[in-house]
Amino acid sequence: MNEEMIYLDHAAATPLDRRVLEAMQPYFTDLFFNPSSPYAPALAVRREYESAKQVLASTFGAKGDELVITAGATESINLALGSIGGHIVTANIEHHAVLAAARQYDHTIVSSDKRGFIESSVVRAAIRPETRLVSIALANNEVGTVQPLRDIAAVVREERARRLALGDTTPIYLHSDASQGAGQLDIHATRLGVDLLTLNAGKVYGPKQVGLLWAASHVRLKPQIVGGGQERGLRSGTENVAGVIGFARAMELAESHRKFESDRLRNLRDKLQARLVAAFPDAIVSGHAKRRLPGHLHISFPKLDAERLVFGLEMRGVLVATGSACAANKGTRSHVLTAIGLDSSVADGSLRLSLGHLSNDENTKKAADIIIEEVTRERERTRR
Amino acid sequence: MSKVYVGMSGGVDSSLTAALLKEQGYEVTGVYMKNWTEDLPGMKCPWADDLADAKRVAVQLGIDFKVFDFEKEYKHKVVDYMIEEYKLGRTPNPDIMCNQEVKFKLFLEAAIEDGADLIATGHYARVKDGTLLQAVDTNKDQTYFLYRVTGEALTKTLFPLGEYTKPTVREMAKDRGLFTANKKDSQGICFVGKVGIRDFLSQYVEQTPGDVIDKKTNKLLGHHDGAIFYTLGQRHGLDVGGGLPYYVVGKSMEKNEVYVTTDLNDNTLWREVIKLSSVHWINNAPASGEYDIRVRHRAPLKKAQLSIDENGDVTLQLIDPERAVASGQSVVIYDGDVCLGGGIVA
Repeated sequence: MNEEMIYLDHAAATPLDRRVLEAMQPYFTDLFFNPSSPYAPALAVRREYESAKQVLASTFGAKGDELVITAGATESINLALGSIGGHIVTANIEHHAVLAAARQYDHTIVSSDKRGFIESSVVRAAIRPETRLVSIALANNEVGTVQPLRDIAAVVREERARRLALGDTTPIYLHSDASQGAGQLDIHATRLGVDLLTLNAGKVYGPKQVGLLWAASHVRLKPQIVGGGQERGLRSGTENVAGVIGFARAMELAESHRKFESDRLRNLRDKLQARLVAAFPDAIVSGHAKRRLPGHLHISFPKLDAERLVFGLEMRGVLVATGSACAANKGTRSHVLTAIGLDSSVADGSLRLSLGHLSNDENTKKAADIIIEEVTRERERTRR
Repeated sequence: MSKVYVGMSGGVDSSLTAALLKEQGYEVTGVYMKNWTEDLPGMKCPWADDLADAKRVAVQLGIDFKVFDFEKEYKHKVVDYMIEEYKLGRTPNPDIMCNQEVKFKLFLEAAIEDGADLIATGHYARVKDGTLLQAVDTNKDQTYFLYRVTGEALTKTLFPLGEYTKPTVREMAKDRGLFTANKKDSQGICFVGKVGIRDFLSQYVEQTPGDVIDKKTNKLLGHHDGAIFYTLGQRHGLDVGGGLPYYVVGKSMEKNEVYVTTDLNDNTLWREVIKLSSVHWINNAPASGEYDIRVRHRAPLKKAQLSIDENGDVTLQLIDPERAVASGQSVVIYDGDVCLGGGIVA
């Protein structure tokens, strides 16, 4: 990416923070040792690995030995759902990783409302006596809606209490993928009320292919990858030391700047939204008006082809995402947009704009101007 | 203003075609023909990327863009034909069939149906009053692939690149800042791509080992994995080592045998008389006489004496013998710059 480009797709990938890179670098070269090796330099690396996990866990109120480091969020989700099994309750706007994993078990998929919001009452209604897991992401990756996890946690606790009173020992847990929320929202595990939590370094200016599953001490996990018995036997394979060092540093930075950064992003996003909506009063902003990721804007321009917009914007140096169908995959419209009931002629003109570290007042305003020009150009073409 | 539907493949040629026609004032719609999407072993079919590139250029030019799906018809008319021909021990040309059946038939019909007045492609060829002329860039000329197109279709077809050389086309694409200006040209048969015909065919036909036999001595030289994979004149891919190179001079599909020789002058390698059937004339059948012929794409033109029998089949009497003319292959006939048509080697 060159400097003139304006990146508005932080929900897809974030650039590695230089401070994170610096923290990681020694572990690729000088400190390359296998943490399981018996000599002193390797033991030193092991201690640093363990202490990085402590730091990492402390950023969301957990303990280092409650973490399982995985290669990204998808693996973490697979470990969570694979460990607990069915019956699973999840939602129709969840990430493919959750939906695909849930489909391997007995499951119920609840519906979000038009705002992409999952009411706790809907979850309550879906819980059966044999339900073992509820999995709801903290924030939706397409429309940015933040879920009422505390309310859903209360529903799960209620069910637990009901079973306890009956002497029924079937456990029920709440899992949440908080990958899209880290750095912008409070992800403190106890405050969220979850039993299992998924995080992804690649979304918080850390390295890709590094993630974690946190499970409270009362949750028994089942390894999905077996071998040398690393990560307490729950995830074998030589530890990704540099990755975890980087993840810890990234989460530390994210937490320390969180309040400032979320205010800053909300301000930028609100201005961006206001500019676009003022220029196109018929544009549709999806997601919950209040409970939304601060840096997230999902906006649809009815009857336009979002893929054309993405290409037009790309040529002018603005990089954005579209959740709608692309010409190569006709008919595979975003399941999230279908779930929230967006008409296909609206969904197909949808852009997802996600702000982050690379966003500032100047480039966000410039992006708004370019988006307005490109949308106008496309509208004029289709009117001909 | 005339409406032109331009077949856009995502390459530089068809991108510039659309750009030029737009500059000339046509109302241009870009169309990606979705003909083949299957991955082959070791090669991901690049169709989705090519489609995206074609669409990028359409957006850049501010023109409409559509996708026409001919996947079923392409499989039936082009791929199945090709496989059947190979099974008969012949050497077909799927690109010629694609032009005849898909681009200048299905695409033309679908475009007209959709409101187009004309179609255009990025072929290097020229059309004048319904006749097909060689491209100005004789090195790049693609009329060999177009000889089975009808004169009627040509009256509705534009080939703007026929007036330019390939290097000029690249330059013009760069001057216009087209997204695909620096994209590499695709290689070989479109859907077979870099994999090669052998790997493609082995997906569809069983590999049955057979004998490689020296034609002169009748000696068994080695083994091959299916006569279907060998073509007249072929030198490489024969597992017979040492000494002079061997060339394929024949094969028996029935016995699954391949016959080879080291003799470059073997009479089956050279033809003085070529008989053509499935003859197609773009406009009218020519009178007997001397014409130029081309036996494969980019091969130099050669003089031949043409005669047509009562069935319409063509006999070509060559002045200099032509090497490795395999049955199934097309021979195209020219009168000066005019591509008259041609036929398939019997």
